[in-house]
Amino acid sequence: MYWNPVLETLPREKLAELQLRKFRRIFSWAYEHSKFYRELYKEAGIEPGDIKTFEDIRRVPKVEKAMMRSLQRKDPYPYGDMLCVPLEEVTEYHQTSGTTGQPVYQPDTWQDWEWLAECWAYILYAHGFRKHDRVFIPFGYNVFIAFWAGHYAAEKIGCEVVPGGVLNTEARILKMQEVRATALMATPTYLLRLAEVARDKLGIDPARDLSITKIATGAEPGGSIPATKRRIEELWGAKLYEHCGATEIGSWNYECLAQSGLHVNEAFFLVEIEDLETGELITEPGKMGKMVITAFDRLAQPCIRFDSKDVIQWSPEEGCECGRTFRKIEGGIFGRADDITKVKGVLFAPTSVEEVVRSIPELGNEYEIIVSRKGEVDDITLQVELLPESQARRKAVEEELNRQLRVKTNLRFNLEFCKYGTLPRYEVKSKRFKDLREDAR
Amino acid sequence: MSEEYPLERMAKLISDIQKAASELRELCGGIQAVERNAERILASVRMLELNISDALDIAGGGR
Repeated sequence: MYWNPVLETLPREKLAELQLRKFRRIFSWAYEHSKFYRELYKEAGIEPGDIKTFEDIRRVPKVEKAMMRSLQRKDPYPYGDMLCVPLEEVTEYHQTSGTTGQPVYQPDTWQDWEWLAECWAYILYAHGFRKHDRVFIPFGYNVFIAFWAGHYAAEKIGCEVVPGGVLNTEARILKMQEVRATALMATPTYLLRLAEVARDKLGIDPARDLSITKIATGAEPGGSIPATKRRIEELWGAKLYEHCGATEIGSWNYECLAQSGLHVNEAFFLVEIEDLETGELITEPGKMGKMVITAFDRLAQPCIRFDSKDVIQWSPEEGCECGRTFRKIEGGIFGRADDITKVKGVLFAPTSVEEVVRSIPELGNEYEIIVSRKGEVDDITLQVELLPESQARRKAVEEELNRQLRVKTNLRFNLEFCKYGTLPRYEVKSKRFKDLREDAR
Repeated sequence: MSEEYPLERMAKLISDIQKAASELRELCGGIQAVERNAERILASVRMLELNISDALDIAGGGR
């Protein structure tokens, strides 16, 4: 049931005590070992002995990705002054994907790497991964952290791991079939792509012809978007479980078998949610805000009050039928604070469109949203693909799309129906939202 | 739930392993096959500490 019942069912007041203690420890570590952190904290007038309560934690300066970028490519090369260990103790190099700018480098010691795998062991065990599973990982093992730690965690749990690294999509499907893999890890986008290629090019129905019963997903919002989750579970005939993580943070939450929100691993992380406009702390459920996160035990390049810009909200559900006491977030990550933008004066989250597109069975998995400006007026276009067998229903689909988009976004879209198979396909993270307005950022 | 587990005894054994692996790393005279493997043991021991020893006095638990 639990990877670690001691921590996962710890009463909440004891959990808070543990978090405060662990925050003090990582704060002191960074203060003593990193020139960058020491200067940042000295400037703010905070020393390790000052952290006595959660209110004190709120006074600790936040760190942003842009700060990390400005520190890097300097000595100790290439990590700069944020590094807390001698360079020769770094055993792992990864980097962010760079979708929001210059990639950030992430150094880890072997102990950090064990910790990353430990975080993932909590995730996979909660998803139901066990020793008897044969886990297929269709991931291009490279500088991006993605499913690396998932691989090590599956080994730690005792699963048999089949690395699908350099194989192409078709070969990966055939390998899964050949070895009768029972579990899988991939992004929502790639799970849809795998199923599409299996069906269209190989005549394989993943739900009928493969043996996958459980799937770990992450890196994109899709796993918490009901229509996308439903579509993937039906295509694969398997349960889909989500988690969230990031290169600079680690993997900090997970869905349990109850599939009713994502438990924050509060023994390893402190998650704060801040109001998008005022920056005030949000503790009540159902109110979206920006996540500020601390990883308690990652040492080479600590993540302390990192302003992730991910928009999340607390779940209204107190407790969980699984018995874990870790608080849950609802709806996963809604998007980045940077991506939530005003279109025609209306606050627009691109992820709201995915729920609409994926709920209409006549549409393919792919879509693109393009925002531009015509004169003084914003213009928003949605490109979708009608499945070949659904061409006769185009008018009805168009009406349904218009109706749902209006309800979900309060916006009127231009709709473009593209030929099936012509929109871009993605293998890891997708980039389906394009804001072409000059002053978009 | 912590009461069901002998946390104190587990933490004592984790501490013993930690001391033994540290000692091994120090006395190996630079034999890389010992030093590096001891280092890896210590990283795993740290995970045991995070899971058990760190929470010992907070979680309570049996002896």
